[in-house]
Amino acid sequence: MDQPVTALTYVRPNLRLYLANRSWALYTPIYILIGMTILSVLVGALIGIVTGFPLPEGDTVAMRYNAGAVYSIPGFLFSVGVLAMNRNFSMALAFGSTRRNFWFGSALGFMLTSLLVGVGSLIFLGLEFATNHWFINARAFDVDALGNGDPWLTFASMFVLSLVSLFAGAFFGTIFRAFGTVWTVVAAIVISVLTIALVAVLVWQWDAISDRLVGLGDWLSIIITLVLAILAAAGSYGVNRLATV
Amino acid sequence: MTATAVPPRERGITLHAVTKSFGGNHVLRGVTADLPADRIYGLLGANGVGKTTLMALICGHTFRSGGQILIDGEDPVENAAVLRRTCFVHEDQRYNDNFTVAQVLAPGPAYFPNWSAETAERLARRFRLPPKTASKKLSRGQRSALAITISLASRAPYTFLDEPYLGLDASARSILYDEVLTEYVAHPRTIVLSTHLIDEAADLMEDVLILEDGVVAVHAEVDLARRESFIVRGPQEQVRALIGAREVLTERHLGNLLTATVRGQASDADRALAHQTRLALEPATLQEFVAAIGVRSHDRSDIA
Repeated sequence: MDQPVTALTYVRPNLRLYLANRSWALYTPIYILIGMTILSVLVGALIGIVTGFPLPEGDTVAMRYNAGAVYSIPGFLFSVGVLAMNRNFSMALAFGSTRRNFWFGSALGFMLTSLLVGVGSLIFLGLEFATNHWFINARAFDVDALGNGDPWLTFASMFVLSLVSLFAGAFFGTIFRAFGTVWTVVAAIVISVLTIALVAVLVWQWDAISDRLVGLGDWLSIIITLVLAILAAAGSYGVNRLATV
Repeated sequence: MTATAVPPRERGITLHAVTKSFGGNHVLRGVTADLPADRIYGLLGANGVGKTTLMALICGHTFRSGGQILIDGEDPVENAAVLRRTCFVHEDQRYNDNFTVAQVLAPGPAYFPNWSAETAERLARRFRLPPKTASKKLSRGQRSALAITISLASRAPYTFLDEPYLGLDASARSILYDEVLTEYVAHPRTIVLSTHLIDEAADLMEDVLILEDGVVAVHAEVDLARRESFIVRGPQEQVRALIGAREVLTERHLGNLLTATVRGQASDADRALAHQTRLALEPATLQEFVAAIGVRSHDRSDIA
């Protein structure tokens, strides 16, 4: 018997396409986090050769500014976003999908990847605490960039960071697919100029807005990243509607 | 460009005055055709005449400049219910570089309600597709085999095969024709097949559409299309006398000898005259007919 057709009927295959290679879409980001953690502990161990173990508080304070988690993820996820929107796009259309359903299916996949990175980071943070910072007082997740051990901030930071990386990749991948190399470069330049202009306005108006922004505390960067992710998502959706094979 | 709506066919593809331009390059200049469902169509014509573009327009992979396209009476552009009935793997189809052959095939059942895992498995085996090989490492022939596997296993009511033989050796092409026929007989559907190996695939086709200069030059049952032209060869004067006022598609000269491909069917009187004047007169194959149209089109564009 035929199943009832809903909006999800058409979106689900595109999510399935995104997840066809789970190692690429889901597991590799976790492997990257594991690699980053191992590298951070090794660096801590190198420092410990001089300072002794566990690392004294002074060095621990230095490791508090370890931003490995923040720097290790975006590059790979950007490439996932590019390939998902570029190569998967032509596959999805060959398989009889609409652009709209392809975008929603891929966006669901991006959410899933981001969720996994967020939850994974949370688990690593828990392990870091449980092992008294990897037995030597080294830090990879209990760091300043992720809210100094606050689980909500850690999860939210890594979730939105993943989301913005994926959707930024999707945005540029879609522009490349729809309009080619020249317009991809033009888009990158335009976005860079707009970003500089925005920063200039913020600097210019800092006295007027600083109280409100600073009041947001550690959530400020998360909110800004989330806004960027939403803008990139909206941009990729808009351009995707014009893309052709 | 506005196009008058044509009565939609309940099942099948309706094309009315379809145009497509890429900048100043007008590839399709008004394609009109009515393709009833559950037949095998050969989409023929010279390189660059717009065969792939037409199929891409029908499947909504690219956007038409004008005209009207209907599948089962509905516009396919961004129409999920209609596009779900189509499968069109391009001749130069790009796959995700990180996907193996098995991973490319894996989402098939999710997209196509009638997907046949058995067909996919059989074709992959017959074409010796390596399931664990990354799609980017496939040879030209393997890429064609993968496209054929997806297309036939999809059992999509509207299946498009874009030069599916590229890179396939003679035995693999035999498998292709055999499998297309087997699948079609067991599960009738509309198959649109673009090909340059016309005589090889002609027995599969029921109807042919021949594109020339951006329009449909011929749309006929394959047997009728086969009788659309004949070739006459001999001394120039006698050949011209036999041809009379009929349309000559191509001419080839060798000294005073002329070989002409003539549009139309040779009559008994033609055959008698040819016998009398010792001219060689023979029916053109479909491939020769399509080639002659292609040459005529090239000659026209050279003159222009």
